[in-house]
Amino acid sequence: MATKSLAQMRPKERGKITKVGGSGHTHRRILDMGVVPSTEVTVERVAPLGDPIEIKIKGYHLSLRKEEAVQIYVEMIER
Amino acid sequence: MLTNEEILRAKDRALAHLRSIYGDDAETIIADRRYGFISGVLKDVVKKPAIERLAWSDKIDRVIVNRWLGIPIFLAVMYGMFQFTFTLSAPLMDWISAGFDFIAVRAVGISPEWLGSLIGNGIIGGVGTVLTFIPPIFLLFIAIAVLEDSGYMARAAFVMDRLMHKVGLHGRSFIPMILGFGCNIPAIMATRTIENPRDRLITILINPLMSCGARLPIYILLAGAFFPAYRGLVVFSMYLIGIILAILMALIFRKWLLPGPIGHFVMELPPYRLPTITGVLVHMWERGKHFLIKAGTIIAGVVVLVWLLSSMPWGVQYAGPDSWIGHLGRFIAPIFAPCGFGQWQAAVSLFFGFLAKETVVGTMGAIFAVKEGSLGTAIASQLSWTPLVAFAFMVFSLLYVPCVATIATIKAETNSWKWPAFTIGYELALAWIMAALIYQIGSLLGLG
Repeated sequence: MATKSLAQMRPKERGKITKVGGSGHTHRRILDMGVVPSTEVTVERVAPLGDPIEIKIKGYHLSLRKEEAVQIYVEMIER
Repeated sequence: MLTNEEILRAKDRALAHLRSIYGDDAETIIADRRYGFISGVLKDVVKKPAIERLAWSDKIDRVIVNRWLGIPIFLAVMYGMFQFTFTLSAPLMDWISAGFDFIAVRAVGISPEWLGSLIGNGIIGGVGTVLTFIPPIFLLFIAIAVLEDSGYMARAAFVMDRLMHKVGLHGRSFIPMILGFGCNIPAIMATRTIENPRDRLITILINPLMSCGARLPIYILLAGAFFPAYRGLVVFSMYLIGIILAILMALIFRKWLLPGPIGHFVMELPPYRLPTITGVLVHMWERGKHFLIKAGTIIAGVVVLVWLLSSMPWGVQYAGPDSWIGHLGRFIAPIFAPCGFGQWQAAVSLFFGFLAKETVVGTMGAIFAVKEGSLGTAIASQLSWTPLVAFAFMVFSLLYVPCVATIATIKAETNSWKWPAFTIGYELALAWIMAALIYQIGSLLGLG
């Protein structure tokens, strides 16, 4: 199964989180918002200027910058 | 009892142990288990409806933050908010200030003369100044509350973050910057939506560089008198200079004053909701009240102080050459000589501009005892200003000290006198340097 970073995913692609890297305040914040391993995530869209991205996770919408998404690894789910 | 070192060693051992089992750091494991527990409980107790709720919210988003429409819609919302706040408040502000002028004129007639002047020019003027700010502030807070409660505020930050990030700011800084074109006070209060304290402080510090509505009368008068053919272009250049310097100062402050990364953008984009009237009014009142109490007292105090400086010693012409403020003006006027406007009349006008920038024009009118229509020619003939001097003076008026109400707001929002003092200091320096550069370089090029 193909593994990517969340920042590389395109809109409408779906995947399962395998690892949330990083450290510090932003890392904790990402985890607090429910971005934890084995959760399913869908990329909804990219902002008009190309950053940040909007994802759907645990039934709600979350935005984060690409620089914050690069450390989140995802196993792709085929549609 | 364990010593601190023993506790820390035990902690490190426990972390290493956890990592050897789970292959992940403690934070991730804790978050993972917490959400595992939550989903377990949810499975037991919550029954989800078959169809997905709030699908219509997603549909709205497909248009609102659309790749092509996202930015035009954002700009339209900003324009609407600006129009709502400042167009609706303009006549209200005029009525309030006309009402206070009406009372003040009658109060000046009270004898003894000093009491009439204190009540008319000082106290009623001071209270009137505070009250004229009520319409734009309360209307703006209504607009902000509607945007926040509906869920659009988060989308606005989502759309603008990339651009703001480039100039060292957060996506949420954009709205306060735009609002600054109307009035810096509500704009600075709007920075409360910025979570990261560093991002918020930088946004507050550069906000007075956004040319507020009160500075427009100065530009209109001087551009009309000195640049009749390029009036619009000259006024526009003031706004542009303000924006460029705001970006420059934001980069400088980020690098040297408040170094550190820009706050994260990990935030929920909540579903759209219809704001309730009660909710909006509560938000408006909670924030507006704060301005009235905190800023109001400082503003009224400074207005009375300037009244005192303009009236002393007893019996002089109000703000005339022999009043204390006239002496003060004469004393500091030489500082402005390198900028081209080293006359006491200019210095006194700038003192009054500290109360509210539009009074720069009114003060000159009072000093030359002419109506506003012929004020431009009076300045040109009596102070022998050239277009270059007028331009330098306009740039100085744009940049120097925020008005007293803005200073009071910075004090209230940062809860310290340090940051209003810093803002006054850096803006005065920036204004002087810019005006002097323009005058000196312009003179060298023979534009004087």
